Amino acid sequence: MTSKLPSYEPFALSAEQLREMTVRYAVNPLYLDNEEWLNEDNPFRRQLRPQVLPHLDFSTTLSRPEILDYSGLAAQRLLTSIYEADLMFLPKSGFAEKRADFAAFYSSSNRQLGELIRPALEQHVFGFLDEEVAVTGAWTKDSFRAFTERFETREPAGPLPAARAIRESTDPVRAAQMWLVQFAPDFLSEASPMIRNVLGYYGAVQSDWFKIIIDEYGYGVHDTKHSQLFERTLESVGLRSDAHHYWQFYLNSSLMMNNYFHFLGKNHENFFRYLGALYYTETTLVDFCESAIEVLTEVFGDTVDVRYFSEHVHIDVHHGRMALEKLIWPIIEQCGEGVIADIVRGFEEFQVLNEIADADFAAQIGWMDGGPANKALHEPVWAAISSGKVSAPVAHLVEPRGELSNTHLHDGDELCHIVSGTMRFVSGLNSYQILEAGQGTVIHRNRLHGAVIESEECVYEIHSVGDYRACLS
Amino acid sequence: MLVVTWSTDGAGNCVVLDGQPYVYARTTAGEFVLPAACPHRGGPLHLAALRPGTTRLVCPWHERATSVTRAVRAGVPAVRCGRRVTAVFDLPDSTPFTVEYRPLSDDLVGGRA
Repeated sequence: MTSKLPSYEPFALSAEQLREMTVRYAVNPLYLDNEEWLNEDNPFRRQLRPQVLPHLDFSTTLSRPEILDYSGLAAQRLLTSIYEADLMFLPKSGFAEKRADFAAFYSSSNRQLGELIRPALEQHVFGFLDEEVAVTGAWTKDSFRAFTERFETREPAGPLPAARAIRESTDPVRAAQMWLVQFAPDFLSEASPMIRNVLGYYGAVQSDWFKIIIDEYGYGVHDTKHSQLFERTLESVGLRSDAHHYWQFYLNSSLMMNNYFHFLGKNHENFFRYLGALYYTETTLVDFCESAIEVLTEVFGDTVDVRYFSEHVHIDVHHGRMALEKLIWPIIEQCGEGVIADIVRGFEEFQVLNEIADADFAAQIGWMDGGPANKALHEPVWAAISSGKVSAPVAHLVEPRGELSNTHLHDGDELCHIVSGTMRFVSGLNSYQILEAGQGTVIHRNRLHGAVIESEECVYEIHSVGDYRACLS
Repeated sequence: MLVVTWSTDGAGNCVVLDGQPYVYARTTAGEFVLPAACPHRGGPLHLAALRPGTTRLVCPWHERATSVTRAVRAGVPAVRCGRRVTAVFDLPDSTPFTVEYRPLSDDLVGGRA
């Protein structure tokens, strides 16, 4: 009988089908551009800029040097929305007016379309890890024990790269607020990706993993739930705590860090990689949180609520140990030494993502601080273009008052030149330059930005110069 | 056991443990920690090439063949992250080691042209 059956074909979309389905997913009214910078207590609204998606190719795998390019950001925004359709969100208030959005976000149509494109998007943004991390040889319990023992006895990491970026910023308060915003996608729905791993039936490890989750959820006492502690942190420094209020200000790498755990937790063939990444993150979070308390207190004084971080300094001493002793070792006993390679892989992969995120955040703070300097660079770069010394593709745009270019980034340097009118050019949370006729700014590659028109009309040009430094020589 | 981290390329691409040099090989058939000296007569395995159409690495001195498949599956346990490799050797953790440079054949750096 079986000889008459067709052979099994794994599911895959062609590049064209993928583009078509991605656009179809993202033109949902929930995902259209916003007329404001911030979302108002509506966790179902996420700006995906669907108008740009027909021009992107998600069927390829981004390399590490390309990972912060625009298609990476677009894919991470899409993936965040797709993964979070598995989670439960409600606004803090005004549900009745948002009920249509609630229904649309959790509709079977939205979820089905998301699921169709998800595997390709995951390959697009996480496929580079296949090249970046390779595990080889015969890993045994003894070699893995030696590997983890060296990690456990490592030298202290020192101050966080992000803490250094905040301290060195010309506006540490703004930089620290931008930093806290980056954690909102993770900390407000904290441990949700992890919970994907405790469903099902697989033995004693399942119950031990549940103990970590009980801690994350504050033992059922809402005020001690870790997300609640983080809400207090946000509010104590003047930030809002409704989910995705700051959607447009999430960096590519911040979404990448959170989505990585969803990627591993959603695809259970990555179960062992998740364990390795969990062990790394739970163990290093102690140093991270100590450093966070220091820098936040330095910047905001005693008014900042750092209980989220002090709780983790305490509990993650246990969670790091539990991840290794109660989850990883028993799983190796249960499944055999063959799973160690995947555990090591996840352990290393999350370090790669951390490095990318540290560099991305520091670069963004440098970009925000550099607003006046980038505005001043307009003059020599514009001179090179207007004199014909440099020739670059140009887009001519005319926009009315209030037109808001939702945040995005470019894959090369660009020059924004204002022909007439006024533009507020936004380079991060509470970071902007006012550009008048004849003025402009250099826009650095991979740096998040947006703009809003503040005159009746604004005529401007975007010159894709590639590398602005070539215009200065 | 001894855990060592070194670079896959550049000046410190070879770790010498107890007199035995090791490099990290990235071939079209897989990645692995490779003893840089052939176990036969000490030939320069770091300059070895793949026998065309096979996954056998051939020592340039006496053409002794090494199975890449076996090295990947059963060799020294290691993880490469970017250009950094960490390997666990079955040696006392007090074993002294140094890092130095060994040129690598094209077949050992991903089959570059």
